[in-house]
Amino acid sequence: MPALLLVVISLWEVCAARRDAASVPGDAAWHAAAEQVRAGYRPGDLIVFAPDWIDPVGRSQLGDLIPLEIAARMDAAQYGRIWEVAIRGARSTDTTGISAADTEDHDGVVVRRYERAPAIVMSDVLERLATATTTGARPTLELAEVGFAPHRCLQVSPVPGTPLRITFPQLPLGKELVGYAGIADVFTRRDVRSPGRLDVELAGKVIASATAGVDDGWVRFAAATPPGAADVTFVVHATEANRRICFAAEARQ
Amino acid sequence: MSERAKRLIGLGLALVATIVVVVNQRDVGIARDEVVYMQSGARYADWWTGLVTLDHGISEKSVTQTFGGPNATDNNREHPPLMKTLFGLSEKLLHRKLGVTGEVTAYRLPSAIMHGVLVLLAYLMVLELWGMAQAIIAALLLMLLPRAVFHAGLACFDAPTMTLWFATIYAYWAYCAHGAHGRGPDDRRWPWQVGVLWGLALATKHTALLLPFALGLHYLIVAWRARPRGTEAAAGASRVGRMLATARAVIGYRWRVIVSLAVLGPLTLYAVWPWLWFEPVHHVRDWLAFHMSHVHYNYEYLGHNWNAPRFPWHVALVTTLFTVPVATLAAAVAGAGVWIAQRGRRDPRGPVLLLALSAAASAGPFFLGTTPIFGAEKHWMPVLPTICIAAAAGVVWVARAAAGYLATVRAVGERLAERVAIAVIAGSVVLAAASETQVAEPYALTWYNALAGGAPGGADLGMNRQFWGVAARGVLARLAALARPTGNTYVYTHDASPAWGIYQRQGVIPRTLLDAGWEQGGIDRSELAIVIHELHFNRHDYLIWKAYGTVQPIYVLRSDGVPIVSVYRRPAQAGPSAGQSGQ
Repeated sequence: MPALLLVVISLWEVCAARRDAASVPGDAAWHAAAEQVRAGYRPGDLIVFAPDWIDPVGRSQLGDLIPLEIAARMDAAQYGRIWEVAIRGARSTDTTGISAADTEDHDGVVVRRYERAPAIVMSDVLERLATATTTGARPTLELAEVGFAPHRCLQVSPVPGTPLRITFPQLPLGKELVGYAGIADVFTRRDVRSPGRLDVELAGKVIASATAGVDDGWVRFAAATPPGAADVTFVVHATEANRRICFAAEARQ
Repeated sequence: MSERAKRLIGLGLALVATIVVVVNQRDVGIARDEVVYMQSGARYADWWTGLVTLDHGISEKSVTQTFGGPNATDNNREHPPLMKTLFGLSEKLLHRKLGVTGEVTAYRLPSAIMHGVLVLLAYLMVLELWGMAQAIIAALLLMLLPRAVFHAGLACFDAPTMTLWFATIYAYWAYCAHGAHGRGPDDRRWPWQVGVLWGLALATKHTALLLPFALGLHYLIVAWRARPRGTEAAAGASRVGRMLATARAVIGYRWRVIVSLAVLGPLTLYAVWPWLWFEPVHHVRDWLAFHMSHVHYNYEYLGHNWNAPRFPWHVALVTTLFTVPVATLAAAVAGAGVWIAQRGRRDPRGPVLLLALSAAASAGPFFLGTTPIFGAEKHWMPVLPTICIAAAAGVVWVARAAAGYLATVRAVGERLAERVAIAVIAGSVVLAAASETQVAEPYALTWYNALAGGAPGGADLGMNRQFWGVAARGVLARLAALARPTGNTYVYTHDASPAWGIYQRQGVIPRTLLDAGWEQGGIDRSELAIVIHELHFNRHDYLIWKAYGTVQPIYVLRSDGVPIVSVYRRPAQAGPSAGQSGQ
């Protein structure tokens, strides 16, 4: 019995090693999947790939349809049409909870199209940086690595122990303010281990907070807001120097 | 079979192992750290050659200029010089003087030969302990470990350390085993080999400092078992007297091996490392301090990027489980089971205990959660001989059990049945290991075994993709094809930057394809760019996106479908810095 088991394991490994090596769809399947996406693509559509590790291959096929702003999006809520190009049964976190309107399999590269009502954005702090006032250094608009993913965000490194206040005057608000915060740059995350914190103040009251540790990635925060224009202040806290805190936020209807 | 024939088989296996490594390394790119070792090795070799030919003497100035300096990494003084010196001497002789190999192969040859030596030593030890079948199987499984074959093909220290670690184990065991061969504790021969080999292991990599833990514990256990009965009684009734008598018996068991390790080990290290010839205490302290406070490089493991302790306790266990062929592991489990089951019939020399302690000492620190885990299996490679030897024992035990069963149901000769069973089962296990090795190369750092699901399974599990930038070798032909027909083309070479000059000398890329430089400045200057994919290198993609205005690579090199290098070309209209390349 042990002999048989060992032979079976060995023969399985001989087959499995080759099968695994050929288990990822090749260029022909990707070309076919890309053709389908191109045929149905409309400007403003979001294209995502799953699993994450296949992203470079997906971008090599369809990267011309992915503007930088979309690749480095805050999140996927404002996209009404999403194309998910996936292999190995994977799903993108951007399509969690949504049912596909259409699914087609191209020899292992599965194209799923999702349609939904997108979030309506009333204002985006990234676009209003010029109007912002601060109590210290001005944030810069960056395409930063946060949690090993690309994000367009406002980046600041507050003086340790001195919260930096960034106010967006008369920011048009909807029913909800949604944002994300995280720590940029893998090497400073390694060398500076303390978390960063972001508070959002409306009319002098904290309506949302997010604490981002070095391993937390892009941390979501949200708060209900009264529709209309109001001063919104983002208060950024750090306890150590060179804590590169990045954030983005949108007021949504 | 004659002793000569047995030795010839071992030498043949060693030769095959060396050839396998040498042939395989031709397609393996140049590792980032390897370049440093090559450059340092060339300087060390020149210094030694100059000393032997009396071109210069021994002065603190020349030693410092070649082997050290005021800063922690000057002349790569943070790593001992043995293998680097051999790399340099090999390149000097085989490439520069004789011209029989290419530059990179010449640098890498000592490491490949070391791997052959490892196979030979494992074969010899197992041959003496358990027999020919086990010895051949152990040697074959050892030469068919995908990651080990990869590392042995680099001008680095990890595979040679495994060899010298095992060589020390073998020399120690051979000496301690004398009692069982008719020579008693009064054997007056000096086991100089043990100390010298340990010294050479130390002169290869600091991890050899862990070896005395294995040897010391083994020594204590075996000496305790072998202490003369009645020692305590003879010492009288006093408890202290009994303890002293026992301690004397244990320490005196093979005391010369202790002296050899304690004296010849450090002396050998000292002799081959000129940097220690001046201010040795200070320089040894610097060497060890560098490694005790080594920066934690980024390393992906089970979907998480690790760059600070505490690390998961199971890194060594899981990584080994996913990077040794499954059949080899299964056979090793059988072998370990046999060893455990047969512990009552233990060999007084404790060879199994020694092999187990060797593996434990090598991998043990990685269970602590504070030892840097980057580099993964290469840092605990001395466990591999133990695994392969256990696998060989397992295969033969399983085969004998099968032959025994066969003899009860069919009228076949027991001897014939055993030979057929060994051939079939060993053949299967070796075939599985060979298949994995063939699939894994030349991007063996991306490869994981069938248990993990191969390279794609490893990617799904979030296991480390690669390190050291070796995969860049796979896109060089494409970059060469993209070079401007006239004038220079600047390339953001990412982690391949240190190797760029060597690739040019090799002729793999034209000399007009220039390294654009580091980080944003290099990207801004470039019109071609590569990103060698590791999780923490994603940031390089984003830097390129910003500079080139596109997220679309023009080519993605894949290993078994898993992306390992992306190539970008700056679109014609993208950015003011595009015009900086060219002439």
